Amino acid sequence: MRTGVVGFALALLVLAPLLPRAASAQFSFDARRYGMGGVSLSRDGNVRRYNAAYRAVKNRSNLTGNPKFSIPIPFGLIDFIKDHPLNQLGSDPMFDPKSTAFNPVALMNVILNPPIFYEIKKPPEPTNNVELTIGKNQLIVNLGGSQVLIPEQKFGLGSSSRLLDLGGGFGGFNLSVMGFLQYDVGFSLDSNLRAVLREAAPVQPDSSYSVLIDAVAQAGFAPTVGFAGRLTHGPDAATDDGFYLGGALHYYLGATFGRGTGPAGFTVGDTIFKSTPTILVNDTLRTSNKANGHGVGGDVGVAWISGPFEVGLGVNDIGAELTWSDTKVQQIQYFTAGDSLRSSVIGNHVESKTKLPITYVANAALRMGTGTTVGADVVNSGRGTVIHVGAEQRVGLWAVRGGVSRDQRKRMQFGVGGGLRLGPLGVDVGLFTHGNSLSSQRAVTMATAISIY
Amino acid sequence: MKAFASALLVVVAACGEGKAIFNVDVYSFMAGTGKDTIPYVIPPSSSASPSTFQRILLPPGFGSSIVDSVKITSGNVNLINSGGTGTIGLVLRFAADSAGTITAPPALSIPATAVTGAQTVPVAISGDLSPTINALFTRDTLWTRITATGTNPGLTPVTGKGALTALVVRVVLQDRIF
Repeated sequence: MRTGVVGFALALLVLAPLLPRAASAQFSFDARRYGMGGVSLSRDGNVRRYNAAYRAVKNRSNLTGNPKFSIPIPFGLIDFIKDHPLNQLGSDPMFDPKSTAFNPVALMNVILNPPIFYEIKKPPEPTNNVELTIGKNQLIVNLGGSQVLIPEQKFGLGSSSRLLDLGGGFGGFNLSVMGFLQYDVGFSLDSNLRAVLREAAPVQPDSSYSVLIDAVAQAGFAPTVGFAGRLTHGPDAATDDGFYLGGALHYYLGATFGRGTGPAGFTVGDTIFKSTPTILVNDTLRTSNKANGHGVGGDVGVAWISGPFEVGLGVNDIGAELTWSDTKVQQIQYFTAGDSLRSSVIGNHVESKTKLPITYVANAALRMGTGTTVGADVVNSGRGTVIHVGAEQRVGLWAVRGGVSRDQRKRMQFGVGGGLRLGPLGVDVGLFTHGNSLSSQRAVTMATAISIY
Repeated sequence: MKAFASALLVVVAACGEGKAIFNVDVYSFMAGTGKDTIPYVIPPSSSASPSTFQRILLPPGFGSSIVDSVKITSGNVNLINSGGTGTIGLVLRFAADSAGTITAPPALSIPATAVTGAQTVPVAISGDLSPTINALFTRDTLWTRITATGTNPGLTPVTGKGALTALVVRVVLQDRIF
């Protein structure tokens, strides 16, 4: 048990910093979007999800030049299956931890960046040696090139999602039931542990090393009353010009939640290898006894369209605090005697409160009428802000695209692409750099898709 | 310390096909305990093989790993001879338990060094250990025994002690920790 506690923490240490990546581009199947650095010039996707006003804005594909839908051409998947035959996955070194060629970094890279599209430049997989110097009063961990895997700041993964939104309405009003799921797992290394793993600093006697964990997950439903409408319109009401306002009021009905906080670590004695270090696990776990969370929150969105220009801002889950009237609070501690983790109830049928993170999107697009469209968006889905800026130039049957983005790790990424449209069919290619891997170096992916107009 | 060492395995695993290298300062575990010296008294016209032994702790979880090599990268014994003329050689053995180190085949043999009278002779210990013991280094605990193999062709006893001053074992392995 003792080994598992710290082992698990360090496993997360290694893996978690790489998870909170920009999901907006990486899970899109639209090659056009990849070619523009991740920005979406259409009125679907992020803006419709995060801006309540866009419920009233028509998504005119003839105006925006966007296809009705895109079908990805999964060259990456074909290549992956070629290298990893499906009938041999059981013995494939990539998935077989017992193989000497098993590389968990490679496996994580596949998870973080599913091989749908073709990887022109694959992310490097650290294969450096790890050197440990062990003495009675000495422990040095030199991870070599893999030190970059150790995060410098708080890290983790999380998301705030709306799993469904069922309902209908009229006259701009809308009644629906929304499903929500929010989770956030954060870790913070103390400076001692960070120095040991990242800088190969010697473990010091009489010192403590720990990871602070703060994890929460909650899910439920939210009956919603919403309105979205065009408050003003331009000279020609048939166009989309005007000022749009949208809002929604949610009554959150929490089904379940859990939250764990506290440190996991150990304290080394006066001689590092003289005695077993003191394990420190003193965490608090709160869980709901019943599906009785409740709270109120709202969304607000505005959009303004004037000819070729449109801009919008949507903010969601404002003031969304859930009160859980029947929860259990447990303390989880490690006990040297018995080498075990034990939990004890320190409070039952007590009230707890949770919050949903505020998510937002700000978007702008300019359709210049000369076949040129430029756009940008700023999206925060609950864990870090992602910025996309991109442009598309159409010339006859052809389209040229480019863009940049700043991902959740605050690194610049780049995209370039092109397309050919023949009547209702189009073929699009987008090249983009990304950091969806364990490595700090960029990889380059080529997205390909058939677009149906 | 197993907790931390085990946790490190996860980090080691993240380095893919890279090797895991352990530099174990065996001497640091022996220093000051009395096990870092091997007193010897070799009667005239005879030989003797006094020894000392030490347990070595390694991070657990490498049972499935493949040891590429084990070598002593830094080692030294000072033969502090106090009387007599003879030779002192050194033999290192490794085994899974302390008793096994008595009968284990030598993993490394240091040629005999001549000693005479009251003198201190430094003897370097280095070299690759016999591959036959590689598997031992996938264990989290193993034992080593250092034997001084002394000969005394003379008529007076050869007396003194071997004082270990350094012993670092370098283990290189292909980690298979899952």
